Amino acid sequence: MKISKFLLSLFLLSIICVSCDDDDEPQLPKGDYENGIIVSGEGTFSGISGSTYYVSNDYSTTESLIYKKVNNEDLGIFVQSIAFDDSRAFIVVDNANTISVVDRYTFEKLGEITTGLKKPRYMTIVGDKGYVTNWAEGVYGADVDDDYIAVVDLNTYEVTSTISVSIGVERIIEANGKLFVSHKGGNGTNNIVTVINIATEATTEITVNDLPDDLLIDNSGNLVVLCEGKAAWTGNETLASIVKINTTSNAISSKLEFDTGIHPSALVGNSANLYYNIGSKVYEVSQSATTLPASELLESSVTTFYGMAVNNSELFVLDAKDYASEADMKVFDISTKTNTQTLKAPINASKIYFN
Amino acid sequence: MMKYILLVFIFLVGSKSFAQLDSIQELKVVNLSSVKLQKHSKGYKVLNLSDSVIVKNTESFTTLLRYNTPIYIKEYGSGGTSSPSFRGTSSSNTVVVWNGININSINNGQTGFNALTVNLIDNINVRSGGGSIEFGSGAIGGTVHLNDQLRFGKHFNNQLVSSVGSFNTYSNLYKFSYGNEKIATKIGVSYNQSENDYKWLGTNGLKNENGSYENLSFTLGFAYKLNNFSKISAISSKFNGNREFSGTLPNPSAAKEKYKDFNFRNLLGYRYHKNEFTHEVKFAYLTQEYRYFADKNLNDYSFGKSKRYLLNYNFNYKISPNSSIETFTELESILGKTDQIEEKNRKQFSQSLIYTQNIENIGSLNAKVRKDFNSDYNVPFVFALGAEIKPVRNTFVRFNGSKNYRVPTYNDLYWPALGNLDLIPESSLQGEFGLGYKTNEIKLDLGVYFINSKDKIVWTPGVDPEKPNDWTPINVAEAVNKGIEFTAAVNKYINQHLFNFTINYSYTIAKDKSTDKFLTYVPKHLANGSLSYSYKRINAFYQHLFTGDIYTTTDNLDNYTVPYYNVGNVGIGYKLIQKENKNLILGVKVNNVFNKEYQVLPSRPMPNRNFNININYKF
Repeated sequence: MKISKFLLSLFLLSIICVSCDDDDEPQLPKGDYENGIIVSGEGTFSGISGSTYYVSNDYSTTESLIYKKVNNEDLGIFVQSIAFDDSRAFIVVDNANTISVVDRYTFEKLGEITTGLKKPRYMTIVGDKGYVTNWAEGVYGADVDDDYIAVVDLNTYEVTSTISVSIGVERIIEANGKLFVSHKGGNGTNNIVTVINIATEATTEITVNDLPDDLLIDNSGNLVVLCEGKAAWTGNETLASIVKINTTSNAISSKLEFDTGIHPSALVGNSANLYYNIGSKVYEVSQSATTLPASELLESSVTTFYGMAVNNSELFVLDAKDYASEADMKVFDISTKTNTQTLKAPINASKIYFN
Repeated sequence: MMKYILLVFIFLVGSKSFAQLDSIQELKVVNLSSVKLQKHSKGYKVLNLSDSVIVKNTESFTTLLRYNTPIYIKEYGSGGTSSPSFRGTSSSNTVVVWNGININSINNGQTGFNALTVNLIDNINVRSGGGSIEFGSGAIGGTVHLNDQLRFGKHFNNQLVSSVGSFNTYSNLYKFSYGNEKIATKIGVSYNQSENDYKWLGTNGLKNENGSYENLSFTLGFAYKLNNFSKISAISSKFNGNREFSGTLPNPSAAKEKYKDFNFRNLLGYRYHKNEFTHEVKFAYLTQEYRYFADKNLNDYSFGKSKRYLLNYNFNYKISPNSSIETFTELESILGKTDQIEEKNRKQFSQSLIYTQNIENIGSLNAKVRKDFNSDYNVPFVFALGAEIKPVRNTFVRFNGSKNYRVPTYNDLYWPALGNLDLIPESSLQGEFGLGYKTNEIKLDLGVYFINSKDKIVWTPGVDPEKPNDWTPINVAEAVNKGIEFTAAVNKYINQHLFNFTINYSYTIAKDKSTDKFLTYVPKHLANGSLSYSYKRINAFYQHLFTGDIYTTTDNLDNYTVPYYNVGNVGIGYKLIQKENKNLILGVKVNNVFNKEYQVLPSRPMPNRNFNININYKF
């Protein structure tokens, strides 16, 4: 009797909780795709649209093509990356010159940005503005050097202004009131990181090794840049490196260079370490290390290493296989170095986001 | 007039290298190909697309073949890049043969089906099955033959075909043909253009942006009888095309690619025929060039171009009225380059032998062998056997078997940092068995085939550990293609009402042997058909196309398939003038009459319902 009364009061309480406003928000599910992982895949040149899959945090459910399922349309070709704010996800589709805006937990479409973008790549959000790197026009020749950062008003979904930068923009990250942009080179090559003062939009360039790509902020507030270096087959090999930049002074504070012939393609970090790959092998290096490790942390055994993420003690590696079938997302326990899960991911899956 | 035309020809022959001929002495029509397709196709199925079929689908070569042959054509949006899949084989395994010459690109091994003009071709044949003996590299799934014809005998004909249609589509063609006992000549000019900005059905007002095209082509042909035994001929054709490549869902405005084609083909021939002997010498000069503009507003482009010289000697000895032996000796030199590849020269000598035997009231057979010597790699010795037996009146049993090959393209071999010089030619063994029934009114043909291909050249990622995300071509895949092809054609007069019905159905199972998965972009079921009716001055037709589901992923996922579709076109025509040497038909055609939303390839919607008005004036 007592128990049933208790249950009844609990039930009534829960009703009140549901009907009262957002004060007790943590209790409410925000959507089907909360508490899980969003994996984005680029799609293919032959016309398979880029797409997004959802994997629950306990790995028990994988849901494919969630954007299509919710909105009954495709994202378009070459879903490059996704940027998030508190409630929204901005899905950047480069060949379609489009950013699709969805609710990050329900994936319901809220709007789209289709003008002012030309081969958009990555976006970062500062306040109610989005900053999007764009390769712009030209694949070769004189017209290629017209890359820019599009400034997007996130209330109106309009590109309100642009910031002109050097050729080959790629990743963009905010730190210390500045934007840091890596210039991998687009269709060519480049070796700089552009720093943009957000308030004044003034730009300065920092020279690093060739092909700077992944960016992250480490636990001491430094910008970490992965420079892939030019490969041997280009006929003009250059060294790859992990470069650290002081975000206040914009000075290079340290540089870990790889040996000739070694070219990592991805870099991620958790609170203590950095993780990078060489082919299918993943290496771990402490954020304070001054030398690179001699041997790998683990062999991921993927066919086509196409993306990586780390979340606390777990490492995620994407295998794009033959670029024409569903990818695998392999999950590794970092401490035991074992492959604990292998999950389905989109065609040409390249990015992993924890929602 | 005659003098003027002769002058034009002399001028052209003098200024540019030229083209060729051949003929069957007795017939008035000169086919320019020295390979007599019918004679060499014992046991094979050959579809003939006549003038009356061709004029129903003049919008594009892709459309013509899509509605009238068993070939599945991948088209990147209407008018865009278009490549064939014949019997489930890859794009480079269908050969396009222009007057007997394989014209697939040296750079990628394919012919773009939207870089060919339909209108000027007098006659098109589609042969199912391998044909490397006669047509060389790539003839694995089948061959598509574009034939020019020249007519001797006194005549003076003009034809003007003109149409105006939706999306600002204009198509114009003028053909002139003149002949007497000694001379046969023709001129053709065709110009097509379209904004091609059709509505994308199922979207919120999106259009096929950046899809416009225009192309201009010329054909000049000339043959002259030197005496009762010998003849010279020349044919020259030029095609200049300019196309934009339309975009994909959901934002077609992002598209800005442009593509230009410049093709120039010339053939010069001499033929001598007396008693049991026929000698024929041909010289061909062909150039091809494409320019790809990643952004149509900019002047930068990438390109590929090639020049080919071909010298061919054909000797035919008639052993008896029912048997003959022929030899083909060919010397070829190809110069090819792209913006990425320095000019390379490939030389080839090939020798083939074809024996033909007819056995009266029983059947006929061909036995063929060929060996190539190529400057770049070893080409396998290939052979083919085909036979047809007629056990009962009007019925036939046919079978053929052949070994065929495809040599690596310049891209496969020489692409900077990626090309692979160790490639060997793909090769395939195939066999087919068919049954048929043939009368004046009804033709039926049912064939079952099997193709086993090995050393297929596949661009594969991660071959070189140092370039894990780069694609390199390697001889890797083995594929098995098997299937059924069925064709029926019925021609029936009921009083003055003429009914004509044709259908092509193909069932294709194409699998990768190592994974046992279906190959992508091969529909298991494909059917097309047409029904036409004419009575006195009126004619009407309906065309239908059914394409089954296709897999787009190598793991054959159902939620990534391109769904099946049915599309139909109708047309009606009325003969305004019907005289012995004057004939004017006014016609109206409605394409996609049911306004079906469909895609041939994912993310690329195809045209909505559209109209055209056309005239066909012969005088």
